[in-house]
Amino acid sequence: MENIDLETLTAEQINFMLILHSGNARSKIIQALRAYREGNVEESDNLLVQAEEDLKASHEIHFKMVQKEASGEKVEFALLLMHAEDHLMSTLTMKELVRELLDIFKQKNL
Amino acid sequence: MKRILLACSAGMSTSLLVTKMEQHVATINAEAKIWAVGQDQAKKEMANADVVLIGPQMSFLKGELQKEANKYGIKVDVIDMMAYGLADGKKAYEQAIKLMGE
Repeated sequence: MENIDLETLTAEQINFMLILHSGNARSKIIQALRAYREGNVEESDNLLVQAEEDLKASHEIHFKMVQKEASGEKVEFALLLMHAEDHLMSTLTMKELVRELLDIFKQKNL
Repeated sequence: MKRILLACSAGMSTSLLVTKMEQHVATINAEAKIWAVGQDQAKKEMANADVVLIGPQMSFLKGELQKEANKYGIKVDVIDMMAYGLADGKKAYEQAIKLMGE
């Protein structure tokens, strides 16, 4: 997926890319919690690292869009873009919270 | 007629994918009923479907949904990453057809 050049994509496809990477992260974050619950600490840690990579990919796309707009090139607004940003931001929040939770569990030997 | 159910957290992104899939179905002169629902509706709606495709943001629910889908003898799978990321209706439709074993 990484080798796709954003310049070749339509605005709609870029929004889908944002949701795709955020969505993959969201699934992995929940799986990390589940893995921890089942006692697979290493797997849980790995999933969270992978989720961070997915979020980074999504964030980078978004960052490029913001930069593009800042440079004077108008970014087409769509409900789908707002929805994609919603996905990205809520998943970033989820990741921060789950990371803190898992740290607490580890510290308290839960 | 093939009945393809798409599900994602709000049913929003997959609604757009439905349109793309329908456009593809029209170009190949096939007939299919394709619709999208949110995460909460997926279990209820799958009673009327022949196959279920879910968005990447709910892939962690695949096991749970497949368990429900077994009651109807249908398959659940996560939409192919390339198909989803590029909003590729043709690819998503072909994935659904393949899952139905045709």
